[in-house]
Amino acid sequence: MLNEGRLDLLARVPLLKRTLKARAFQPALMLLTLAVFTLAILSGLAGTPVGSRNFGIIFVWIVWWALLIVVLVPFLGRFWCAVCPIPAPGEWLQRRAIVRRGPARPWTRGLRWPRRLKNMWLQNFGFLGVAVFSTIILTRPGVSALLLLGFLLAGVVLSALYKNRVFCRYVCPVGGFIGLYSLMAPVELRVADPDVCADHKTKDCITGNAAGYGCPWMVYPGNLMRNVYCGLCFECLKTCPRNNIVLNLRPFGSDLLVAKERRLDEAYKAFIMLGCALLYSAVLLGPWGWLKGWANMESLPHWGLYALGFAAFNLALLPGLFWLMLWIARRVTRARRPMRRLFVDYAYALIPLGLAAWIAFSFGFVLVNGSYALSVLSDPFGWGWDLFGTAEAAWTPLGTALLPMLQVGILTGGLLFALNTAYKIARQHHAHHRPAFLATLPVSGFALAVTLGFLRLYLG
Amino acid sequence: MERREVAAWVAVVLIVIGLPGAVLGYQRWLRLAAAERRVIDIRAYAPERGGFAPDAIRVAVNEPLTLRFAAMDVTHGVALGPGLGIDLGHVDPGKVKEISLSFDRPGTYTYYCNTWCGPDHWRMRGTIQVIDPANPDLLPTAQPDPIIEALIAEGVDIDATPDAGRASALVIERPLSAQRGATLLSNMTIPPEVRDPAWRRSHPPTHTLDLLRRANGQVAQADLLDVLASLWTADTAPATLAAAESLYNKNCAACHGQTGGGDGPAAGTTAEKPVAFADAAYLFERRSDVLYAKIRRGGMGTDMPNFGTLFTPEETWALVEYLWTLPASAPP
Repeated sequence: MLNEGRLDLLARVPLLKRTLKARAFQPALMLLTLAVFTLAILSGLAGTPVGSRNFGIIFVWIVWWALLIVVLVPFLGRFWCAVCPIPAPGEWLQRRAIVRRGPARPWTRGLRWPRRLKNMWLQNFGFLGVAVFSTIILTRPGVSALLLLGFLLAGVVLSALYKNRVFCRYVCPVGGFIGLYSLMAPVELRVADPDVCADHKTKDCITGNAAGYGCPWMVYPGNLMRNVYCGLCFECLKTCPRNNIVLNLRPFGSDLLVAKERRLDEAYKAFIMLGCALLYSAVLLGPWGWLKGWANMESLPHWGLYALGFAAFNLALLPGLFWLMLWIARRVTRARRPMRRLFVDYAYALIPLGLAAWIAFSFGFVLVNGSYALSVLSDPFGWGWDLFGTAEAAWTPLGTALLPMLQVGILTGGLLFALNTAYKIARQHHAHHRPAFLATLPVSGFALAVTLGFLRLYLG
Repeated sequence: MERREVAAWVAVVLIVIGLPGAVLGYQRWLRLAAAERRVIDIRAYAPERGGFAPDAIRVAVNEPLTLRFAAMDVTHGVALGPGLGIDLGHVDPGKVKEISLSFDRPGTYTYYCNTWCGPDHWRMRGTIQVIDPANPDLLPTAQPDPIIEALIAEGVDIDATPDAGRASALVIERPLSAQRGATLLSNMTIPPEVRDPAWRRSHPPTHTLDLLRRANGQVAQADLLDVLASLWTADTAPATLAAAESLYNKNCAACHGQTGGGDGPAAGTTAEKPVAFADAAYLFERRSDVLYAKIRRGGMGTDMPNFGTLFTPEETWALVEYLWTLPASAPP
């Protein structure tokens, strides 16, 4: 039952509703993030090439990343997408407006996005593409700035060619995993009553009206069952003349159990994210110096091998192992459900584990390197400035004694959540406990093995 | 257009154009224009990536200057010489250190890295040409070093290895101790020429060994060597030796090793294996003035850089004195 067990925050907190309905709310936050983003690009291009002393590296890949993966995504889902500065210039040019409702005819060629690309595959390969260069991107301010600038230009070009936020919905490598992990978030934007939408003829949430734009994410709120593609821009809240939009507080991970919208591209995203977390942990935290050298492009042939291995691990080995375990279990239990269905459905059980792994991994470098933010705040370009008197703040790793325990706790929580989700998915396949329990075993074994792999890397 | 829309577009322009313009404008123009002294930003890269940028500066006599050194990749050390006594110490990656100074006479000075920063560390130097505004084209040329001139006149090949082709005749029976030698001095007959510091600078200790043997009959060679070690290290004040040790550690130890074993971290990167000063059999066949000349002029084809543009003659002599302590530091 839609909205059952949910708490509508908009009804409970009228001020929140007024704020979210205000046209200036989203642009104000975007202008703020755009200023930080501009500073990050500027410091990357003109500041010191030393990553640990450069605002762009520290504030994008440590401060922003920690904020995103530890706070925003797990608790607010796609809220970052609502305030992200990358699509902002493109969107503002397309609308010819920032705050006000712009002209009805947007400034775009209005081309149709290819049907074959209306999925997450481009984002999957985009993320992998960025990931194999990650040790370079995360440490070299110039490269990092060019990447961010490239994203921004891609946003502008795609906005000029296509309507709405095509870049965010189908291209942005970051947006892809934020969408996937927003399934876990305890907030959701939905409609109060789908019948109201069904009966509503003008569908202002799609077409837009004087109060706002049609959904830039090309989502029809009346059918909205999951968070994946809702960018939380709240245009529908502004345009809905029936006051039918709600913002619910709900249990964590509720969307994982929405069976009818599970897809192979999203399932693969779950593997890619889990695999990348494992590989990053191995490269950056593991004892293999040669692997770090390969990832750092110390020699092109070795990096080529690393890139091939990286892609093979994420696209073939990890999903292949999962497939094999499911296939064996299917043979043993003589189940009739198609393999593809089993593979896609159970892959969603790995989403909590993947998110937990990323949080645990991120704590590893955020706590250790977070103190660089203090000195960089005062000297963002490494030019010897001291804006706030903290330029000489010493590098101070935080919580190193507690870190392993924290990581074990987070990973264990993620594993338990994954096992519970796997069982609930199995119960969607099986009416009775015993076959559901048996069907859960291969997924549980896989998740346990992956968790042990992470613990081996974190605990040494 | 409503007011807040205009404000938003203004904000965008300020952020996208104004913010970078203000930051770059301040750093590259306003900061320099508003400074009371001439500010010169010098970026320090490892020599393989270009060394100092800029690597040559031209300033006027008595012009108030601020030199700002920014380490762009690895930790560098920055010092200025010769004779300026300026050592900024380590400059860590992404950090900046600065020095305010002025030069009171025309000449050429060197800023250089004195912390091992890569295989070509010794190439990491820049020059400061101090000119007289009244005669900007007239730069004092470096005066020939009288010690080096004298060696050339004497026909000494600074790069030659004395007695090349034969093993050292000197047998070292026990580690040398200058301290022990000092206690033996009072019971020894020291020929007058050997007591003369100027004479000792132009004679290797091994040549002096025969003089001591003749003068002291049955004294064991090991004791005579200790006495020589004492004589060759006796003329420099402890404070000067301490300063020379610091110079050695910062500029020489990377190749020659901190204890003079010829085994510094960069020893494997040089064209020829660095000399082991701690080896008494080697060092005691060398002359102080040749060591002095080699330090100031550098070694041909050996990767031994010249330090004459970095150190004063006094600093160089102190360094030579320090070298003599390296093989003779055993306890009494």
